[in-house]
Amino acid sequence: MNVENLPQLTQFQVDEQPHIIVNKEICRDCDHRACVLTCPANCYTFDEETKLLSVVYETCLECGACYVICDKGALDWSYPRGGYGVCYRLT
Amino acid sequence: MAKYFDVIIVGAGPAGSMAALKLARAGLNVCMLERGQHPGAKNMFGGLLHNTPVLNEMLPSFWERAPLERYVYKKVLAFMTPDSAVSLTFENGNFEQPPYNGCTVFRPAFDSWLAGEAVKEGALLLCDCTAEDLIRKNGQISGVTVKGREGELRGNIVIAADGVMSFMAEKAGLRRDFRPGDLGVGIKLLLGLPEDTINERFHLVRDEGADISFLGTTGGLCGGSFLYTNRESISVGMVVHLDSLKASGQAPYDVLDELLEHPQVKKLIKGAVPLEYSAHLIPEGGIKSMPHVYTGGMMVAGDAAGLCYTNGINLEGINLAMTSGVLAAETAIEAIEAGDYSARMLSSYKKKLDGSFIIKDMKTFKNAVGMMRLERLSRTYPQLLTDILEKVYRVEGTPRSKLLRLARKEALKKIGLKGLVSDGIKIGRSLL
Ligand SMILES: Cc1cc2nc3c(=O)[nH]c(=O)nc-3n(C[C@H](O)[C@H](O)[C@H](O)COP(=O)(O)OP(=O)(O)OC[C@H]3O[C@@H](n4cnc5c(N)ncnc54)[C@H](O)[C@@H]3O)c2cc1C
Ligand code: SF4
Ligand code: SF4
Repeated sequence: MNVENLPQLTQFQVDEQPHIIVNKEICRDCDHRACVLTCPANCYTFDEETKLLSVVYETCLECGACYVICDKGALDWSYPRGGYGVCYRLT
Repeated sequence: MAKYFDVIIVGAGPAGSMAALKLARAGLNVCMLERGQHPGAKNMFGGLLHNTPVLNEMLPSFWERAPLERYVYKKVLAFMTPDSAVSLTFENGNFEQPPYNGCTVFRPAFDSWLAGEAVKEGALLLCDCTAEDLIRKNGQISGVTVKGREGELRGNIVIAADGVMSFMAEKAGLRRDFRPGDLGVGIKLLLGLPEDTINERFHLVRDEGADISFLGTTGGLCGGSFLYTNRESISVGMVVHLDSLKASGQAPYDVLDELLEHPQVKKLIKGAVPLEYSAHLIPEGGIKSMPHVYTGGMMVAGDAAGLCYTNGINLEGINLAMTSGVLAAETAIEAIEAGDYSARMLSSYKKKLDGSFIIKDMKTFKNAVGMMRLERLSRTYPQLLTDILEKVYRVEGTPRSKLLRLARKEALKKIGLKGLVSDGIKIGRSLL
């Protein structure tokens, strides 16, 4: 399964306001970066050179796995404003 | 629009909509808030709407009107290793008669339909509204605020039916932090196939459906995978424990990919077109990790209350959600009649839950939580079973052992006596 293509299958109503905010200072020193591998939509990337974690909230499936799995309190995670975010058609 | 309601329901999922239906029929002024563009827009599940007495009672013959996919009459339990599979098939003609034992549904369609039934009875449905915080008055919960919008909604009682990540229950101080040990993550790929092809491959006719549970296809992670047939598509996915996923360092879609690439599964999905990909959490901590389900002015229903269980064979949640929603609504009706919304008054909701099949079943299968965490269940046992059968069936001109002796020898080799005894006890306690 090619993850890069998966988000294209699902519909999103993207909000200009992100619903996930990463505290990059905490992530810099994180010893596991579990969010990167856990996210079913592959939203997180850690740049080894800059030591910065970034998130593509636009294709987030709002499952909450990253928020639960991060044990360092680095994520400010909430549901998007009403009507925004993922919008399943079938499933 | 009245900004004061008898009851405010957060979440128009199965729990919320059934509560709204019950309350609206009792003539109460009820409002449902849903953060999706329509009910179900944020919701995914494996696929099986179980037979739920309270749904049949409140919406008789609903199957004639609701958007259903197929009636599941064939259940398969498959033990898998990378190159082989052993499966048990159960087919029951009764499952094809009303009230159907289970139907596959699409949540965006089913949840919208169910919420619509509540609206027909007079409930107010507000979509595009994310409840953000709770409002308190005299120490009791008395309303909610909406994210990104001015104003607030007030009412006598709030029912939190906001699903597994219940920020409402958290804000009310009814639950502890969300912990990886109490939750599983599910992912699912919906694959399009022509109706005839599905019927042919799964040996089905008309609107018959099949449900396959796989063990041994989660890359050694604690959990299981599933396949459900819909009318013109099949749902393939898996549920794994979050802590075991974290410890494994594997990505969930890579694990699902292994299932899709398995020779037995590949045959079933050949030529299918990917239609939609989805992910959702699921409460898996069992009765021990349930939050408190009521406080002054508020009750918690469905996934938000941790009401969901799996014993490896069944995964039940939607039926528990609908039933608990109705019990919360019944309690709200009594409270409104009495004009008393205190915690003491609402404590009868907990009693109703305890007396229903919900808590009884969750207690019956409380040891299944531990069993499902046995890594051997999802790795070693499927391997053992297929190894034994391979030895039984393979013909190569060497002397054979009797089946039982063969099984004993293989089991001791793979698991050891101590492991076998302790697993036997755990599995026995969970299911027998
Ligand atoms: C992968 C997977 C497979 C499953 N398979 C099955 C199965 O085959 N059979 C079965 O019976 N169960 C299954 N379940 C469990 C089942 O899906 C749940 O138990 C059920 O959906 C719970 O219903 P609910 O109404 O409590 O919550 P939900 O269905 O989650 O509904 C909650 C609603 O609240 C809304 N909401 C949340 N927060 C807010 C807010 N702040 N403001 C406004 N709205 C909000 C959401 O958008 C949603 O519509 C599965 C679950 C998963 C994850
Ligand atoms: S979000 Fe949490 S888990 Fe991810 S890198 Fe930052 S601290 Fe680590
Ligand atoms: S909520 Fe789920 S999909 Fe969204 S970023 Fe977190 S893990 Fe990924």
